[in-house]
Formats: sequence, structure tokens, C-alpha cells
Amino acid sequence: MTASRAWTFWAFIALLVALDFVLHIAIGLGATAPDLLTVALLLGARRLGGAGAAALGLVLGLLRDALSLIAFGAEAVTMTLLGFLGARSRDLFLGEGTLFVAGYLFVGKWLHDVVYFLIAGPAVRGDTVTRLAIEAPIAAAYAAVAGSVAFLVYRLITGER
Amino acid sequence: MLIALFLFFLPSGYQAPIRGALRSTALRPFLAAQREIVERRVLSVDVAELRARHDSLAAVTAAQATLAEENRRLRALLGLRARAAEHFKSAEVMRLGVPGAESTFLLDIGRADGVEVGSPVLTPEGLLGVVWEVDEHISQAIDWTHPDFRASAMTLDGQVYGLVEPRRGEFREEDLLVLAGAPFHSDIKPGTRIVTSGRGGVYPRGIPLGSVVGIEEADTGWRKSYLVRPAVRPEAASHVLVGIRSDWGGGGDLSNLWPVGGEPDTAAADTGEEADGNRQ
Repeated sequence: MTASRAWTFWAFIALLVALDFVLHIAIGLGATAPDLLTVALLLGARRLGGAGAAALGLVLGLLRDALSLIAFGAEAVTMTLLGFLGARSRDLFLGEGTLFVAGYLFVGKWLHDVVYFLIAGPAVRGDTVTRLAIEAPIAAAYAAVAGSVAFLVYRLITGER
Repeated sequence: MLIALFLFFLPSGYQAPIRGALRSTALRPFLAAQREIVERRVLSVDVAELRARHDSLAAVTAAQATLAEENRRLRALLGLRARAAEHFKSAEVMRLGVPGAESTFLLDIGRADGVEVGSPVLTPEGLLGVVWEVDEHISQAIDWTHPDFRASAMTLDGQVYGLVEPRRGEFREEDLLVLAGAPFHSDIKPGTRIVTSGRGGVYPRGIPLGSVVGIEEADTGWRKSYLVRPAVRPEAASHVLVGIRSDWGGGGDLSNLWPVGGEPDTAAADTGEEADGNRQ
């Protein structure tokens, strides 16, 4: 990856992060807006080493935790773990196609919700089955579609394949 | 990973400054944007609402000018308006859409306005919650559905005292309050209004919390717990009053600020059996 291409990719990741905060904090949308912060982490982690991706997850998780009075640190732990796993996933799966990215984002976001639910524990509303088998897959599919479309647009603009 | 775990297990007293630092730096532009959006939304809503109220009330006020004048004089005599204005600041509620922020909300006033940790947040219907963290121009509060919410409470006639705490349902709409720790011999009828007792010094006395709908299923045999239908639905709150006095000391009595009579809430009494049935 050339320096200019790397720069545009990380600008894209920063844009996703900013967009997530605009949707969830500035406008105050909840589940009606996709989880672009997790999408940004998962996409960024594929281009970083394990330590770098974990650090990125820690920073993004802490930013989200800044407004959490229920389970502070749960998001930081979840995102750190997810970042590390995202980076290590390159050793197991290779691919840059749109379908692969969509599947990767779906599994990653689902894993995020499962880990967060387990860590945050009783502070999270709802029973385990509803949260993990119904709500989490829907949120994961939503994030996967939104993330895939955003990544596709990024590729079209930059000409990256 | 170790840093993340360290932060997760950090005592809440040490977590608050970290949250505050992040809010006032990296998240500041987004919080400022939300504040701006809420202010603009409130202004647009207010104009339409005020116009509608003006139109519908114009005839009524014209016909009842004498009563209105009398009411104004009586209020001035009692000093209620002055008392409320002295100890409360109006604020706008700002919602957050991030995980972990459920049962919490932001207020567009902060330390500079006199808000402190523990300041009560009120609506015209009663107690909404309490301020949890305060920054210079913004503060974060929990509503009564938060697992850590507690309020010392009593029946409106002061016969039964207890502690009000939340009982979370599957969905926010199912959340109720519970008056726990009431004496076993107490018999609170459905519809009885519950207000803050002023004990503990956090909330002034007399703020409406809700109405009893029945006895909770879990009864220890020594004390009774009563399900309470809350007076305030958090999702409906947009304008609030925030207490800015720190010296309530349990001595403040705000009973007269709410038009709560001694009569039971018949709506709560009617739904009492229904609520019991649903819980069983």
C-alpha cells in the first residue's frame, strides 16, 4: 500500500468514526443507526498488526465508554479484543471482495455484541436469548450492509481493488 | 488488553474523571453539536406549541380573567414561584444513542450553572432522576430506570416510609418502581401516591414518584414491597428542572409545587390488578 493510499484509507476510517459519533451522540440515534465504530475498527484491524489493532480498539472503546454510566470499560475490553482478533483473522481468511467484507463485518459485529453482553452482564437489559439470537444478528446484518456499502463507495472513489 | 481490563475494574470514583476528560476533549464537538440540535428543535417545537396553546386558551383566559388574577396573587403570596426559581434551573434533556448510556441522559447545564452531583432532576409530573456527573457546561444524569437509582420515599399522608428502587422489565415501557422496606403491617391501597420523604438529604421532600398499583410478588414475610407506577416516563421528558441547592438536608419540602391532592390515583388503582396479572 502506498503512502497516499494508506492516508486515504485512514481518513476513511476516521470519517466512519466521526459519522458514528454524529449519529449516536450529536443526533442521539440508538439502534436505528448502524454501529459504524465497530465497522471502522474491523476494517482498520485488517491493515494493522495485532498490537496496533488492539490499541485502536482500546481508544475507540474508551471513547464510547466516555458516556457509559452503566458498564464503564466494557466497551474498551470488547473493542480491544475485537481489534486483536480482527488483525489475526488475516492469518485465517484472505479476501477483499464485497461479500467477504460483508461476512467479516457481520461475524465481527455479532461477536462484539456477544462479548459486550457477557462483560456488561446484568447492566444490559433483556434476556440472553433475545439479545444474542435476535437483536445481535439484526444489528450485525445492519452494520455489515452499511459497512460494505461505505467500503464499496470508498473503493469506487479511490480506485482501490 | 490489560489496560482495558484495568479500566473496567477501576472503582467508579476513579472512572468518573476519565469519562469527564474524554467528554470535554474528544467528544466535545459532538456533544456541542447535540446541544445545538436540541436547542433548535426545542425552539421550533415551542413556537408551534405556544401558538396552539395561545389559540385554544385565549377564549378561556378572557372569560376567567378574574380567576387568573386571583390565582396570580395567591401564588405570589405563597412565594412558590420565587422558591422554585431560586433553587432550580431549567434545562433541556439530550439523549444518547450509545450502548451503556441507557437510562442516562445529558443536560445542557453544568457546574457553571450551579449543578452538582446529586442534584435532583424534576419534571412537572415528578422526579425524573438525579445528576450523576457534572462538567462545566454539561451534566449527565440517570433516570429512575437506572439500576443504581434509589430514593427515600413515603406515602403522601406520611404513614408508610420505604425506599423506592427500579424494577426493570424486558422493555423500557415495562419498567416500574418498587417501594421496598415498608412495614409488614402496612396496607397501602392501590392508587396511593408515593412521594420523596426527604430523608437522606438527596431529594427534597414531597416530589411525586408515582402511584401504588399493588403488592410485589416477592414478599419476604417481614417487610412488604409495593409496585409503583412511576409519575414520569423518562422517554417523554424533554424540559426539566434541576435542583441547584446542595443544602437540602432533608429539610426542603416541595409538596406544594405539585398539584397533588390527597385523593388516590384512580387510574393506578384500576390498572393495579392488570399489572399484578401481567407480572404473574
